[in-house]
Amino acid sequence: MGQTIIGQGLTIEGEITSEEEVMVAGTVRGRLSSDGAVIIDAGAVVEADVSAGSLSVGGTVTGNVSASDRVDLLTGGRLVGDVKTARITIQDGASFKGNVDMDV
Amino acid sequence: MARSTAAPTDVNEGTESILGRGTRVRGRVRGDGDLRIEGFVEGDVAISGDVTIEEGASVKGDVQGTTVTLCGELHGDATARGAVVVRAGAKVSGNLGGSEVSLEEGASFEGRIEAELDLPPELMR
Repeated sequence: MGQTIIGQGLTIEGEITSEEEVMVAGTVRGRLSSDGAVIIDAGAVVEADVSAGSLSVGGTVTGNVSASDRVDLLTGGRLVGDVKTARITIQDGASFKGNVDMDV
Repeated sequence: MARSTAAPTDVNEGTESILGRGTRVRGRVRGDGDLRIEGFVEGDVAISGDVTIEEGASVKGDVQGTTVTLCGELHGDATARGAVVVRAGAKVSGNLGGSEVSLEEGASFEGRIEAELDLPPELMR
């Protein structure tokens, strides 16, 4: 299966839907949804609602996120928005503001 | 900062972006570096590097780059500071403009070719 990489210098404004892994090192504004993993790299800026199979945030995300499997907030990552997921980890040094809904 | 943990794959400093086969974009794509499109894009693409529309990919919108290489489908104009190459098997409806424009045998093309263009020095906004 292929892979989608939004490189550091790239900006996408609009709606991205994917069946595969999406790695963001650049900027996304709008909506991002993937059936697979979404990886927001350090330095990436995402101003979008994100839905994914799993989500890992090492960069900056502003928007509501949902992941069917898990959300990992990594050191240096920053998330402002509500999270809906089954499992979540927040590493030391990550910033987070929002609500978590773990569907309990 | 820039301490990327746990990411299993490395991105080489944003030099190349890939919109994979299973990916669909509706909106604007712009920025630096090269871009390879394998999926579907509805919207304009303006990149400072090279743009390649791979076989099986489809773009509806105008495409700008340093060079533009077309192997898939394009409905829209392709403008390059350098070469525009339309490979065999590509389907293009739109105008092509660049310092060089080449069409391979087996490509289908409907539109105008403008090989002499006065492009503004700033392709990108």
